[in-house]
Amino acid sequence: MPYLAPEIILTALAIVLLLLEAYGAISARSVGIWSLVGIAVAIVVTLFTEVGAEPMYFWTDPNAAEGTAGKGLYMWDATARFYKLFFLGTTGLVIWMSMESAAQPVGPKTQPIRAEFYILPLFVAAGMCLLASAADFMVLFVSLELVTITFYILVAYQRESATALEAGVKYLILGGLATAFLVMGIAYVAGFAGTTSFAGIIAKYNTPDHLPVAVALGLLMILVGFGFKIASVPFHLWAPDVYQGAPTPITAFLSVGSKAAGFIVLVRVLNEAFGPTAYATWGPALTAIAGCSLVLGNFAAMHQRNIKRMLAYSGVGHSGFILMAVLSGGVPDGPGIAQAGMTAVAVYLATYFLASLTAFLVITIVSPTPEEESIRSYNGLWQRSPLLAAALAASLISLAGIPPFAGFVGKLGAFVVALQFHHYGLFFIAAISAVAGLYYYLGVVKAMFWSEPLEVTPIQVSVPTQVLLTILIFLLIATGLCMEVFAWLVR
Amino acid sequence: MNILPLFLLIIPTLALVAIVLRTCPKTAATVAATANFFLSAVLFYLYCQMGPAPFDFNLPWASFPGLPTIHLHFGLDGLNLPLIVLATTVSLAAILVSPADCKRKEEFFAYLLIMSLGGIGAFLSFDLFFFYIFHEFALIPTFLLIGIWGPQNRAYAAFQITLYLMIGSLVLLAGLILLVLSVPEAARTWDMIALQKAIAESLSNAATAGNTSAMIALSYPFLLIGFGTLVSLFPFHSWAPAGYAAAPPGAAMLHAGVLKKFGLYGLLRIALPLVHAPGTQMEPTWAAWVAAWQYLLLLLLLGNVLYIGFVTMAQKELQTMLGFSSVMHMGYAFLGLAAYSEIGFAGVVLMMVAHGLSAALLFGLAGEIQQRTGENRMDKLGGLASSAPILATFFLIGSMASIGLPGLANFAGELLIFMAGFKTYPSITFFAIWGVVIGGVYQLRAVASIFYGPAPEGLGEVKDLTMAARIPYLILIAALFLFGLAPQLLLQIVQPSLSKLFGGA
Repeated sequence: MPYLAPEIILTALAIVLLLLEAYGAISARSVGIWSLVGIAVAIVVTLFTEVGAEPMYFWTDPNAAEGTAGKGLYMWDATARFYKLFFLGTTGLVIWMSMESAAQPVGPKTQPIRAEFYILPLFVAAGMCLLASAADFMVLFVSLELVTITFYILVAYQRESATALEAGVKYLILGGLATAFLVMGIAYVAGFAGTTSFAGIIAKYNTPDHLPVAVALGLLMILVGFGFKIASVPFHLWAPDVYQGAPTPITAFLSVGSKAAGFIVLVRVLNEAFGPTAYATWGPALTAIAGCSLVLGNFAAMHQRNIKRMLAYSGVGHSGFILMAVLSGGVPDGPGIAQAGMTAVAVYLATYFLASLTAFLVITIVSPTPEEESIRSYNGLWQRSPLLAAALAASLISLAGIPPFAGFVGKLGAFVVALQFHHYGLFFIAAISAVAGLYYYLGVVKAMFWSEPLEVTPIQVSVPTQVLLTILIFLLIATGLCMEVFAWLVR
Repeated sequence: MNILPLFLLIIPTLALVAIVLRTCPKTAATVAATANFFLSAVLFYLYCQMGPAPFDFNLPWASFPGLPTIHLHFGLDGLNLPLIVLATTVSLAAILVSPADCKRKEEFFAYLLIMSLGGIGAFLSFDLFFFYIFHEFALIPTFLLIGIWGPQNRAYAAFQITLYLMIGSLVLLAGLILLVLSVPEAARTWDMIALQKAIAESLSNAATAGNTSAMIALSYPFLLIGFGTLVSLFPFHSWAPAGYAAAPPGAAMLHAGVLKKFGLYGLLRIALPLVHAPGTQMEPTWAAWVAAWQYLLLLLLLGNVLYIGFVTMAQKELQTMLGFSSVMHMGYAFLGLAAYSEIGFAGVVLMMVAHGLSAALLFGLAGEIQQRTGENRMDKLGGLASSAPILATFFLIGSMASIGLPGLANFAGELLIFMAGFKTYPSITFFAIWGVVIGGVYQLRAVASIFYGPAPEGLGEVKDLTMAARIPYLILIAALFLFGLAPQLLLQIVQPSLSKLFGGA
């Protein structure tokens, strides 16, 4: 069954690799390579699986109520395919980064990278791929937990270091709290609707009336749970510390994969489980969250000295931009979120994927130890390695949203949606925040290109990574100029 | 034939590739800029012979769900061709004046080429999307050029100019998106000319007129302030003097000469024709709203001419003075735009070209002076005319052009603008015209203090411009005289396009 192929391939591969590694039959590096191969296979299969005009459902309920017949637990459509590819690509690059950081010299308190560091991301990827297809709160919750619990392990991987432990504890406690909110919300919604399936809920509540108070409350609690995943204000408090303390590849995973996972379930739930009438509930809440994320994320990032912390806050800001695109609902008789909004979210995430992962790949190489994560360590990077400096500059300028880099296309889509749906105030906040964003991104560019280097030893980059970085820079510019490729991905 | 203008972009791109492949950067850049210069001259000649039709290059580029299809639409008409000639001329001069052996020379010339590419591309594009992103191309190179090679106060100035221009660009982007969204979904397009037609149609259709006029009226302040910031409309001007003072001469020439004209061009081409769309009527409330902004523009342009004029008089550093002076001259251009008549617009086009050339000339020469004396404070300079007579003559010609002396291109532009201004807004023009006197005072005072009088203690022998160093300035001066003595050369191509813009035959 090709529709479930990525999940099956990844889980099976992960279990086989775990067993092989447990009996000592395979080295950590080959585990990494096999993981990459598995992901490549999953990407190819997903890419060539057909997408129909209408979503396809699996595990349908034979006793379904009126109006929900033919809808099941798992759905396959263009959105699902796009996000699966997104998660597979993210995981592949994260494993590549892990292999890159395994090649770095080990500090006194750093754990060497072992095989499970490559295997656990496979489970995360399987969970995320399931999330992209979830059509039922049960599937959604179970796959979200698969992702989150695996992340608890990965974040605290460097268990000898105090910052990593702090990060692990924070992520565990706040993640647990967010999960509790999510479960509570699901309980309210499912309790009133009498079903956990998205189709059942929308069939019951897509009436011109307002949502019942308890269901609205449940929806808001679900939003709290998702708000944690996407690191939006005020549920972002974990992000800076966790991003700083976690190993850099895992930071990248959290900042791209986990954020996108939060967004796919957010748009799924708002689109599939709630109709346009629910906008009265979630619209104002998300508008406030988006505005606060934009301002706090971007302005707090201006004062950071640690590059991973800076990217954490900037990630909060990017969540604000994406939420702006999500806020394209409330049109009577329309879907929960307009098609334009769905596309804008996907495109923004795709550009963010390219830029953010490029940046973290460079950070993995330049900052092997926590002491080298300060922005000052990037002083004069241009002299030490032009390729790394160019890649980081391209990715940061793309994140700032300046053409011809991809990030501009993402921002353009979000801005168009905001203006189209008359969120002028939010647009104004977003524009100011984008300028604040440019300030701190340029701060790093300045360090790399003008400032005198602290040390002048050139940085060696392995040939495959050089090739990968060149491809990523090329993609950052090419997709910024030929945005047709995004249209093709999300069609 | 229709791909000929495309070469204006391909040639600098090839030069960039050559620099990456380790050709001598100045040689590569000079060859490209020279080729572009001659190509634009050829285009100018061919355009005079054949009109705009053969140069239209239109290729569907990308469609994007929720947005109209983006076209790669390049073309020439009487409004952008003068600016393209200006851009190639100034680019050539800017590259020629830049030292071949500066530090990190590969990057330096690459960034200059990208700036020039951005300017030319923006003027060449008839598609709003590419129009916008080509201008943005120049943002980061400007930041790096000021930051790495700037002579003084570079970090602050680099951040200031970049962030300021980014704000302006985002406000502008909002205005452009609102414009595109102002017409019914089926008619939406990024194409400037098609969009203008679609808006006119939508305004004459009773069902859609209300929404469209509201959206256009709403977009007008965004366009005005967005473009205005990019041209240093008072009070959004403070990036310009500081930025130009801190930029290396080549970058200041390109920015003041070419990229700053982007905002004026946008107002002339997009913003004003839309709110005054010929043969159509906006709803009265929205028309009043637009009129209110129009009056605000009139007040702000007086700020540009008079307030900034006095500020310019008080400047002590040469480059800062020139930066303020270029801000001040933008006031005249705004007057020509606000007057909204064919004469006024023709004056603005002439003035854009003239000011671009004269500003580039003066910034280049200011760089020469600072490089020779290590000094940019005017009261610490003096008597340079005796040791560097050619430099002094060039500077004097630039100053005369800037003041608006007949025979040099600026005069023709300013004359047309004031004529148009007197017709529409006589009282505002009466005040604005005093700017000419103010301009004369500060510009001549600068000439006197730098080149005449006793040389201050410690100012050693100043070398004059060498033969090779004179070439870029001679090009600019020749162009100033050419368009000053024969403004008809430009007007003959500007006028037909303007009558089309104003809804005539």
